[in-house]
Formats: sequence, structure tokens, C-alpha cells
Amino acid sequence: MPPDPEIDFAKLSDEALMRLIVMRRSEALGALYDRYGRLVFSLALQVVRDRETAEEVAQDVFYQLWQNAATFRPEQAKLTTWMTSITRYRAIDVLRKRRSRPEKDSLEWAEVSPSSLPRSGDGPEELADLLLQQQRVRLAVASLSPDQQAVLSLAYFQGLSHSEIAEQLNQPLGTVKTRIRLAMQRLRELLKEDS
Amino acid sequence: MDLQEHVNDLIAAYALNCLDDTDTVQVAEHLAACALCRDELRDYQALVELLPLAAPDADPPARVKQGLMDRIQAETSPTVQAKSSAWERLGNFFRVTSPTWGLASLSLVVVLLVSNIFLWRQFTRLEVAPQPDSLQVVNLTGTDAAPDATGMIVISLDGDHGTLVVDRLPQLDPQLQYQLWLIEEGNRTDGGVFSVGHGGYASLWVDSPIPLADYDAFGITVEPAGGSPGPTGDKVLGGNL
Repeated sequence: MPPDPEIDFAKLSDEALMRLIVMRRSEALGALYDRYGRLVFSLALQVVRDRETAEEVAQDVFYQLWQNAATFRPEQAKLTTWMTSITRYRAIDVLRKRRSRPEKDSLEWAEVSPSSLPRSGDGPEELADLLLQQQRVRLAVASLSPDQQAVLSLAYFQGLSHSEIAEQLNQPLGTVKTRIRLAMQRLRELLKEDS
Repeated sequence: MDLQEHVNDLIAAYALNCLDDTDTVQVAEHLAACALCRDELRDYQALVELLPLAAPDADPPARVKQGLMDRIQAETSPTVQAKSSAWERLGNFFRVTSPTWGLASLSLVVVLLVSNIFLWRQFTRLEVAPQPDSLQVVNLTGTDAAPDATGMIVISLDGDHGTLVVDRLPQLDPQLQYQLWLIEEGNRTDGGVFSVGHGGYASLWVDSPIPLADYDAFGITVEPAGGSPGPTGDKVLGGNL
């Protein structure tokens, strides 16, 4: 199908793009990739720690979106939630099959720096909201202690259990449980206050 | 654990899905009976959904998008289009069919598809990848919690995804939904949540991290709306592959 010169796909909402994907408009998928490709790739890379594998995971996630767009229900979940959930499941699955141990730098979270501040006029409302939310979450995570950040990273990005984290860090199980609980409580308070 | 004793200390870890098995069972049992803790779980689940935003930024190379666009262009080539449209027609049929047709309609379609397998093979013989001979159908039977319920999962020819159809499941309160579990060596993966109408009928597209054909069994439980990281409520349907 030839492109419509009158449609600026980059300015359409996520929901509109998903409807166009259901109608097999590849430009809509391209626009969603431009919008969220970085988010999906960043998450995949943080889990698998290998750029080539992360590229495969990211491409696969967008291909699944192309295949299953008709099943997306915007009233049940945001598109970014849907995409990041699929990304995380797929990436952790790859990681488990590879059975590799997490590297030390895989425990890091995003730094809060001026370069990660939201830019204005970047696109539709969803993207602006995402960038603002990203900044809030990064600030909240940055306020956790390094120990709390490490256990949270192992649980979320590596998909490890309490006892696996304890073994990985050579820490008592009770310590790990407490760190995760306090980290999550702190994030909940901070992000609730902000909202 | 006494069900009257709340599990606040473990709910955050439950939402993160990092509890060890024993703790998971204890928390799940408590959640099934405690609305207060289910509310708290929802708060933490919303928090977990935000965590990917704090992954360090990394830009994908241009070849990822190029490969993606090439892949979907290849998909729309005439030979593969034939396969996609056939499966889409099956999905669309069940999306628009009235609940009263339910499983009888699905069974009829499956029988027709299998009986026409020779024609199907001819239709798809130009495809690059080899395919299994027929659609796989997994029958689900009702448990004591829903003895009249019935269901089936039709797995696609490539085994990667499928369609769940259920019938005569009890309608749930708005704060509850049914959740499909994909079971492999005792590990349960979320297969999606759904609700049923008055006739107890629903259909759901099923996608999973690994091919559906690789799972050992499937189960459906009653969960808080939006689903749970692991089963917490009554099992209503189940079946083995």
C-alpha cells in the first residue's frame, strides 16, 4: 500500500497507530518503533547484556506487536506496559536458556543526568508522558542505596529469586528480603508522592 | 501461615515475582482470601510496571528497524500471505461469532480444517519453513469449581501461538478475571486474562515466550482483575498437551 502523504504517523497516538497496524500499515509499525525502539532495546540489553541478542529480542518484540496488534486492548493496559512486559519475559527466557551469571555492571540503573531530561515537542502526548515518567522513576531509583539498587536489579532485570540473589551476592537470605522490601516501599512512597 | 495474618512483608517481592516457591504459595493462599492485600498487590504491580523506565539508555543500531521492516515485507509476499490470512480468518470468525455457537462452532471449523488438510498442504507448499501436519487442539475440562465449563486451545501450525475458547464458565464479579496459565515442568507462565459474558463464553489470543506446543499443560484460575504473577484462586479448567 502506498504511503499517505497527508498522514504524519509520528504525531498519531499509540492507539491510532495500533489500529493502523491491524490494517497492515507498515508505516505505523515504523512510527511505533521510532517512538519506543529505544525503550525496548534498552530493557532487552539490560537483561541479556549482549547487544546482538538484545537486537534480536527487540526486533522480535515489534514483530509480535505486528502479528498480535488485534488483541491489544488499550482499556486493559498501556502499550508501553504491554511491550515492556513482553520484552522482559523474552529477554529473561533467553538469559535462562543461556544460564549465564549476571555481570557486575548489569546491576546498574540509569543515571539521572541532564541528557535524560524530557525534551519538549518530541511527539504525541504519550511520548511526553513517558519521558516525564521516566525521569520520575529514575530519580526515585537513584535515591535508593547501592545495596537496594543491586538486589532490585537482580530481581527485576535478571529474574532471580530471593535465595538466588542471596547466593549471587553472598548475603544472608533475610538481608536480601529486607533490602527488596525496603526498596520497593521507598519507591512506592516516592512515586505516590509525585503522582 | 494463618490466613488472618497479612503478608505485607512479602507482597512487594510477590509483585516482583522473586519469592521462593514456599513463600509464593503462602502469599498466593493469603491473597485468595484477603481483598486488602490484593489491593496492596495491585499498587506494587503498578510500580513494577514502571521499573523498565529506569533501565540505562541504549540506542539500537539502524539495522534492527531495517530487519524488522524487511521481515514484515517478506510476510506480505503472496505465499506467506496465504497462511496468515487463513489463520486471521479463524481468529476473526471467533471474535464475531455469537456466544451460543461457542465450542460447537470451533469444533466444526477444526474438523473442516483437518479434513481439508490435503488442500491446505497444497495451499502452503511454497512456504519456506516446514510445518506440522495439522492444528493441535488441547481440550480443557472443568474442575469441581466449574464442572459444566469446557474449553479448548487451538495451537497454530507453527506452534508459536494459539486461540483459547471457553464456554459455560461462571460470570465473575467485576474485580475478578480468569487467567490462563501455561505450565512447563511445574512452572506457570501467564497466558493472558479474560472475562466471560452471560453465556460463559470467551475467546483469547494466546502468545507466550516459548512455543505453545512446548508446554506440558494449561490451566485457568480465578484471579484479581488484571491477573496475578502466579495462580492464587480456584482452578476452573485444565488440560494436558
